Amino acid sequence: MGDVYNFNWTDLGDLAVGRPNLGEETSVIVYRLMQYTFKDVLSKEIGKQRAVELFVQAGLLAGKEFCNNVLDTSLSFNAFIADLKDKLVALKVGVLRVEEADMDQLKFVLTVAEDLDCSGLPIFGESVCDYDEGFIAGIFEQYTGKKFTVKEVDCWATGDRTCRFEVKPIEG
Amino acid sequence: MDANQVLVEISTCFKEAMRNGIGAEGLSFPFDPEDIVDDGLKDICRRLSAVFDMINESYRYAELLARGDLKAQASRTNIFAMPLKGLQSSLAHLTWQANQVAAGDLSQQVHFLGEFSNSFNLMINSIREKKIIEQQFKLITEVLGEGVFLVDYSGKIIFSNPESNRLLGYSSSEIENVLIQEVIHKQQLDGTLYKPAENLLFDAISIGINYDDEGAFTCKSGFLMPVTIASRPVFKDEKLDGAVIAFRDITEQKKYEQSLETINKLLETQATTDALTGIYNRVKFDRTLITEISKAERYSSPLSVIIFDIDHFKRVNDTYGHSAGDNVLKRLAKLVGANIRETDVFARWGGEEFVIQVPGVSLAQTAIFADKLRSKIEEFDFSEPERITVSFGVAAFQHGDNGTTLINRADKALYRAKENGRNQVCHSE
Repeated sequence: MGDVYNFNWTDLGDLAVGRPNLGEETSVIVYRLMQYTFKDVLSKEIGKQRAVELFVQAGLLAGKEFCNNVLDTSLSFNAFIADLKDKLVALKVGVLRVEEADMDQLKFVLTVAEDLDCSGLPIFGESVCDYDEGFIAGIFEQYTGKKFTVKEVDCWATGDRTCRFEVKPIEG
Repeated sequence: MDANQVLVEISTCFKEAMRNGIGAEGLSFPFDPEDIVDDGLKDICRRLSAVFDMINESYRYAELLARGDLKAQASRTNIFAMPLKGLQSSLAHLTWQANQVAAGDLSQQVHFLGEFSNSFNLMINSIREKKIIEQQFKLITEVLGEGVFLVDYSGKIIFSNPESNRLLGYSSSEIENVLIQEVIHKQQLDGTLYKPAENLLFDAISIGINYDDEGAFTCKSGFLMPVTIASRPVFKDEKLDGAVIAFRDITEQKKYEQSLETINKLLETQATTDALTGIYNRVKFDRTLITEISKAERYSSPLSVIIFDIDHFKRVNDTYGHSAGDNVLKRLAKLVGANIRETDVFARWGGEEFVIQVPGVSLAQTAIFADKLRSKIEEFDFSEPERITVSFGVAAFQHGDNGTTLINRADKALYRAKENGRNQVCHSE
């Protein structure tokens, strides 16, 4: 693999060949076990803030790749969002819903219910969906060609029942 | 305060709330936890007081949501408000969905909101199907080859298909919202403007009945296009909403009909006109004589006929040639034609013989009239030769006459005029 690894969508492998009996799906527990143990180790190694930044960065890459390989970027915005919602439900990532959309300024408020990262977590008092923030920013960046900042303003872990994200373009 | 007293106080508080409701004031923790002396009991009371606060906050929060205030907020640590936050999020999303549908976005579906999802998705599917039908209708009107308007009951054009725009020269934006009776269908085929009660298409639109007829539509260029028009009323909730109007350009058809009419007129003229003189021929004379005899028989009205013949016409031909003879015939026809009434029927009988039907005039009066014609002919300069004379026979209709018997009597009178020396009028008995 060399000193640096560059992600490629094909690295996800051929699951039909590789998991003929167990199939494509796995347990949310296993997903979260990996994510939160990563967070544990990284925060101890490089500090929590830096670990969070890396999670966002990884999510951004994932969002771009997901958009490129799974979504249809030729669709109009409304149709693109409908497609994204359907895909996220089909892949059991979460239930994406739009609460506000300002198409002129490209500002959005989105919610993700039953989110893969946090739904059902205890109240930590702080939002934990750092990877999701990057993931959403990556999808919007890939679709619009502009850079976005995504901030999770409500989270299951802060006492809400759905994750709420404010999405807006980065000025300049 | 001991634990028992604390429980009694709290129980009293709940009892009142359960009887009267929480109300605008909310639940009030019955004492200050800081007044409790025992540290363990004080901690318990502090938590119970916090639960009271959460109940009050979630109650107010629920009230705001029930009023439709989707900006309402509850604190993050309020465990009672958490399901309401999920409801708030769902309502906010449904609001956005409804706005999207209103703006024409039918691509969205609502997931996992129970009956809301089912109803909303059914509604969107229903609108999608209607939109498909609308698109199919629009497609039909585009390929139809006929102009199509949709108008409201006041005649205002709401929709025009591409063919109507092509035919009339208007764009959709120019023609939509104008009144059809003021811009498109305001003139009759001859160009005259409709008076208020004369515009039958507009009447059909405004009272909701079928209309099928030919008419004229005014193009943007001002050209008056002959069209066939079919209008059908459209009803919404059993009330008249307007009409669908289909029309077709029949300019070519009209031209064809006019050319056919022209040809028929020409053939009719050729069949009834004498080619040399341009007056009626014997066929036309016989046909009209039948009609006049019927009238005379039915109403006992007078009817006379005059038959006249140029004297010594053979000499004209022999002396001046046939061309000069033809000119004499033409000039004679013109001269006589200019001196008869419009109701008289003048025809060439054959050769140099002519006949005139004189309806409504007695035998005596007709003989006088014939003699005036004779004088005019005698005095007229025919060039080659300068002078000719004509002999006349006059007969009047008698009960039981037919065309032949009447003409025969006039012919006999003519024969007598010739016998008596020509250039004179004789009439039958």
